Amino acid sequence: MPVPTLRELQAAIRDAMLGNSGTPAAAYIAGDGLDPEARLQIYRHHVSNTITAALETTFPVVCRLVDRRFFAYAADNYLRRHPPIGPCLVEYGATFPEFLAGFPPCRGHAYLPDVARLEWAMNRAIHADDHEPLEAARLAAIPPDAVPRLSFRLHPSVSFVDSPWPIDRIWQANQDDRDGGGVGDLAGGGVHLEVRRVGGEATMRVVSKPRFAFRQALHEGLPLDEAASAALSLDPSVDLTHEIHLLLEEGLLIEFTLYSGHPPRGVTVRRR
Amino acid sequence: MASREFGEQPGPRGTGIGLRSPHVREILASRPPLPWLEVHPENYLGGGPAIAALERIRQEYPVSLHGVGLSLGTAGDLDRRHVYRLRELVERIEPCLVSEHLSWSIAAGAYLNHLLPLPYTEETLEVFAAHVDLAQEVLGRQILIENPSSYLRFRHSPIPESQFLAELVALTGCGLLCDVNNVVVTAFNLGLDAAAYIDALPAADVREIHLAGHSQNEADGHTVLIDDHGSPVADPVWDLYRRALRRFGPVPTLIEWDTHLPALDVLLGEADIADQLALTICGNDARANAA
Repeated sequence: MPVPTLRELQAAIRDAMLGNSGTPAAAYIAGDGLDPEARLQIYRHHVSNTITAALETTFPVVCRLVDRRFFAYAADNYLRRHPPIGPCLVEYGATFPEFLAGFPPCRGHAYLPDVARLEWAMNRAIHADDHEPLEAARLAAIPPDAVPRLSFRLHPSVSFVDSPWPIDRIWQANQDDRDGGGVGDLAGGGVHLEVRRVGGEATMRVVSKPRFAFRQALHEGLPLDEAASAALSLDPSVDLTHEIHLLLEEGLLIEFTLYSGHPPRGVTVRRR
Repeated sequence: MASREFGEQPGPRGTGIGLRSPHVREILASRPPLPWLEVHPENYLGGGPAIAALERIRQEYPVSLHGVGLSLGTAGDLDRRHVYRLRELVERIEPCLVSEHLSWSIAAGAYLNHLLPLPYTEETLEVFAAHVDLAQEVLGRQILIENPSSYLRFRHSPIPESQFLAELVALTGCGLLCDVNNVVVTAFNLGLDAAAYIDALPAADVREIHLAGHSQNEADGHTVLIDDHGSPVADPVWDLYRRALRRFGPVPTLIEWDTHLPALDVLLGEADIADQLALTICGNDARANAA
């Protein structure tokens, strides 16, 4: 057979590592007394084990809820369909919750993707970049009529996770040092959580629905007036000045931008 | 472009250990007399407690950055974002050594996170040398390249691995990290002569040695050594280390242990054995400079 280029050879090995059949990889390998497929299998085993161990580190509660063997099976399936797109394993798994939501064997565990979302948020909280908080004095210079058009960047460690299931209690019940585990009373109701890093540790806390809506809207990059209406529509008595002060006080804001108009949802336009 | 200008930098002396997160607290508390420590930079590219702990460690010890994610052997472009993130860490930590592997892990956008084998051809040499040049350019320093542990060889791979490494050094001015355990594992698995491999490396360019444990597995009735870093350094590896010391001199040595991580004392004991061997073989002269 013709000698493959390096690119061809690597494409074939890549496919073999991701468990695809029918790749020409084995044909490029000298057996030397052992089937080339068995030699490839040693590498495939290492790739799969490394990925499974990384996902287990990031999603320990999901692993505990479904048991390790099933978790390894799910992780291997996830690897095949969504291989890592970067070299840092702590950054792998952002789409694992969505994958679990669509993974047929998980269908009976509707809360599982939300538990995974919470674990991903905790993982981000612990590994996100460091950033100095925004100094309140910098906002003092903004003319009052421009304030509604302010939008903010929140600290990179912050995430907002909500669920119709009591995922915070499920998480707590499945920490290493707790006996029991399981999911407990699923009828316990939903929860709105803010997850962030505080003092070098990932923390979660329950926040009210209006505060969650306000902060999540800002997190998505929406201007202050839109975030305000999201909160006020849930509770007309929300004190917005107080809410902004709290965000500054808690060091959640790191930067602001002033917009010239009302950009469509999700689109950010910087004023010239 | 050759990167000879990066030249030789003063490295650490004596035997260090690979720093794994379960030992960080104990090392900071007990400050064992280790000359240096080595970490994987991919674990320290974010913020939070990991990098904060590494900076505290760095105040007490020289730190070497041993990369596993650059994929210098990938056909196509290097991941420049990763190279620049690595540079930020290099600037922050000021490592005593920076190293990577003779391998690849990225193809068509998939990061397989494993050190995969290369065919040793002129094409691979050209690709690899260009990537080493770029990495050394961006990092502004010499990097060391480590020989991999192998479980297969390609039908078309005409250049012996040790010669490939020697040519890479000549082309790029990189240094070499000789993993003695990997030489034993690869030689066993591929039927090569481990001693001849050590003898064929350009001795003056070997700037670091790795030692680790391996395990023995059966695959289809065929014995395969697996480089799992999960046990003490095996006797054949200590034997080959003696040969390496005689040939390379007292280059800084590192004990690596990743799976079934034992108590810190076990690692310190392994480092002690390596130091004693270096003392016996290379004489007092080598140890006199130990940190």
